[in-house]
Amino acid sequence: MATPDLQQRDLQAAATSHRGDRVFNRAITVAAFVSLIILAGIAVFLGAQALPVFQELGFSFLTTTAWDLTTDPVSVGIFGMLYGSILLSVVALVIAVPASLLLSIFIVFLAPKKLASVLTNSIDLMAAIPSVILGLWAFYVLNPQADEWQRLLNEYLGWIPFFENASGNFLGTPFIAGFVLAIMVIPITTSVTREVLGRTPPDLINAAEALGCSLWTMLRYVALPYGRGGIVGGVMLGLGRALGETIAVFFVLKLVYDTNWYHVIESGGGSVATLIVSRFGEASGPFEVQLLLAAGFFLFLMTLIVNMIANLIVSRTGRLKK
Amino acid sequence: MSTAEFEKSVVALENEFAKAAEIRPIELETRDVSVWFNTRKVLEGVNMQFEKNTVTALIGPSGCGKSTFIRTLNRLHELLPGAALAGEVLYEGKDIYGPTVDPVHIRLNIGMVFQKPNPFPSMTIRGNVLSGLKLSGMKRSNHDELVEQTLTSAGLWNEVKDRLDHAAGELSGGQQQRLVIARALAVNPHVLLMDEPCSALDPASTLKIEETIRELSKDITIVIVTHNMQQAVRVADNTAFFLAAEGEPGHVVEQGKTTDIFGNPQDQRTLDYVNGRFG
Amino acid sequence: MTTLFDPSRIPTLQQQERIRPWNKRTKKFDVTVALAVIVPLLIVVAMFQFSDIPDALVMVIYLPLQLIASGIAASLTKGKRGIGDSIIIVNAIGASIFSFVVIISVIWSLLSHGLKALSIPFLTQNSTYISPSTPLEYGGIAHAALGTLLIVAISALIAVPIGIATAIYITEVRGKAVPYVRFFVQSMSGVPSVVAGLFILTTLILTGAINTSAFAGGLAYAILMLPTVARTAEEVLRLVPDDLRTGALALGSTRARTVFQVVLPAAKTGIVTAIILGVARVIGETAPLLMTAGKNDATVTNPFSDPISTLPVSIFENVAQPYPDAVTRAWGSALILMVLVAILFTTARLIGRNKVK
Repeated sequence: MATPDLQQRDLQAAATSHRGDRVFNRAITVAAFVSLIILAGIAVFLGAQALPVFQELGFSFLTTTAWDLTTDPVSVGIFGMLYGSILLSVVALVIAVPASLLLSIFIVFLAPKKLASVLTNSIDLMAAIPSVILGLWAFYVLNPQADEWQRLLNEYLGWIPFFENASGNFLGTPFIAGFVLAIMVIPITTSVTREVLGRTPPDLINAAEALGCSLWTMLRYVALPYGRGGIVGGVMLGLGRALGETIAVFFVLKLVYDTNWYHVIESGGGSVATLIVSRFGEASGPFEVQLLLAAGFFLFLMTLIVNMIANLIVSRTGRLKK
Repeated sequence: MSTAEFEKSVVALENEFAKAAEIRPIELETRDVSVWFNTRKVLEGVNMQFEKNTVTALIGPSGCGKSTFIRTLNRLHELLPGAALAGEVLYEGKDIYGPTVDPVHIRLNIGMVFQKPNPFPSMTIRGNVLSGLKLSGMKRSNHDELVEQTLTSAGLWNEVKDRLDHAAGELSGGQQQRLVIARALAVNPHVLLMDEPCSALDPASTLKIEETIRELSKDITIVIVTHNMQQAVRVADNTAFFLAAEGEPGHVVEQGKTTDIFGNPQDQRTLDYVNGRFG
Repeated sequence: MTTLFDPSRIPTLQQQERIRPWNKRTKKFDVTVALAVIVPLLIVVAMFQFSDIPDALVMVIYLPLQLIASGIAASLTKGKRGIGDSIIIVNAIGASIFSFVVIISVIWSLLSHGLKALSIPFLTQNSTYISPSTPLEYGGIAHAALGTLLIVAISALIAVPIGIATAIYITEVRGKAVPYVRFFVQSMSGVPSVVAGLFILTTLILTGAINTSAFAGGLAYAILMLPTVARTAEEVLRLVPDDLRTGALALGSTRARTVFQVVLPAAKTGIVTAIILGVARVIGETAPLLMTAGKNDATVTNPFSDPISTLPVSIFENVAQPYPDAVTRAWGSALILMVLVAILFTTARLIGRNKVK
């Protein structure tokens, strides 16, 4: 009986049969696709700049670490910068992910309502601080503090390869840059994880009470598995932000055209976004600008892929919840 | 011709006129209307006729498709996701789902009042009454007269005439419902559909709205969905009883004069329902 | 940047309030917890006062100390199970304190350094003939503040209509491409600001179509503003009850009139919030302006002709200068920028709160 009859009428076509509304619908649809047009435009126009660079330098543009236009042929490659961006992001996530999770747990499960809302608001305020101000603060306020911490780390944990420092210079390190990035990532990740944890179904929490009414068991067996997808998505969104951040890193990272593999408290590191800003002002000519545009293309690709994956994960878990 | 004979012929003529008046023209008609949401069929084969300037009540238990049906009559049904429909709905003899028909035009002639009063919060009382004109792009001169006339028809004029420029949200639920009736009347519809207009209201407001309905039926055709059988008896000339068996689409069990449906129903299920044995 | 304005989370928090079985308390609990807080604090204070251990190291030592003390307290009151909880609780409180410390430190340093720069000339003059070494009494950042406002206004003029139209497509037109449009908007919100600058640079400035100017900066800002406006507007349009849309359509309204005369007016305050959040999102962005708007010591009012200075760029120019007065100027500009951001966010919050009520 539920089989649609043959004479079922086409209501969707009928719904837009008013002429004025067809014009309205079309205009709105065009506007809605502006975001797609811009994304495609960025890919095409920056890609068009990257292409000749690739033709001239080949894959060495991605696999070597150098920035010297005085030699012939020029010796240029952004491997160290791409790798540096990833290293900084990893440092940022190592700090930001536990902090965000703990903050969300505190807000959702522990804090009294007043304190929870104060905390929520201050984390939103944290997201509102422009990166240039965070960079300024990091340069003048955080740097001396971080210098001291890093010296301690090196003194007591220097036997761990990550905490080696041969130069004795503890400024401009990937650690400081990653720390500043963490401050930017925390609000983004927290706002997602907070919402995900807040949606843990109450009956599951009550069921966990039967298992021994401890916060730990509830998190371990209910909230975290339940919100896993959303949490991963939130972390990926934070990663997207960390990869693309420019100015704050520019202030605190000593940019070196060399690959710093893992010495996070050794002065000097790389970042594609920072490379672009720092070279842009003193670019030697159209070719160097083109090189920077090509670097921007790869930065765009990298963040776009990370963000797309993040959004897919977040929207998929969001749909499951509904 | 003697005086007696003349009087006799006058009475005969009057009777004939009365008979003629009984057979009113059909304003709205459905032919074999079936309705789906995605693959779920919710209504099957509804054939109904609505005579001009009468009140027709649609009664039946919840979930039998009354509200869905009434929304097919002015093409609001198609706004819901997954909505599908078969059959024809004829307004003044023409299929309103025809390919060249503008739904905006249909809705302008067939107005609707909903279960929950929905005045526009961003407009004043006066603005709400006139909103139909603004929204449909109709030009009418003499707005003040129109506001007074429609609010009077809806039985609200005396209560709001001193605060026409206040926000519509200030009114009580019953007043808001009469305001949206006035709003619907302002565009001068020929048919007014009412989907349980009193279900959210107190008894006093309900009575007022019923009076309004009786008054309005002199000029327009009204179709009203109601859960309240006394209300159907009080306001409706005709009544249709809808029923849906468990897991089956809804259909019309019986329709006819209200006095017949309630006084002398032909179907056992109708008898049970109007006597309050289920639903 | 994810959504900052989210009315839905208020009921979620309230809902969670009731279901917290692990918060059950005993009398013994209070005393032990008090001890668990006081003892490690006393030890740390003693170390600050009476030992040669560096302050930073003492701060590092505090966390394991507190963890041990809380663990002991927890196992005394709740048994073995309490230890896991106490670790989480101590770390969660630690993370919260950490975020408070960061915010307070940023705000404190802005005030303590920035207020030194504030003066009437600083707020009203431009920087013509001012070099980094010029004393603080001369010159100001009025030209940069004006530039920021001009560029933000241009970007809002471009991004707000498109962003709202995108939201209308998602919530009102409800076309077939809704999931794709949402996906693209979300992906767009992840475009690094420096890439937005490069895009405008390569398509419009290097091709000679437009000058390095406020207009070019506004275009770059618009790319960053659009997704924020679209996503927030989408959320607020969703809050408009469907009753109103159906009510308008039942009166013989077209879809277009329904949107413009019923839905948008009903969501007026929310739309304002969306615009404010969009502006706040971009107002501090620096990298795209370096490429598109440049800098200029003089006051510029023509948005198409000349390079123009902005607050973020003037901060950027003055950081790490060897002259203390230049650095103070940077702090002063930062303070003004932060005040602008704070005003925008507070306004958005107040509007948002009224609406939720």
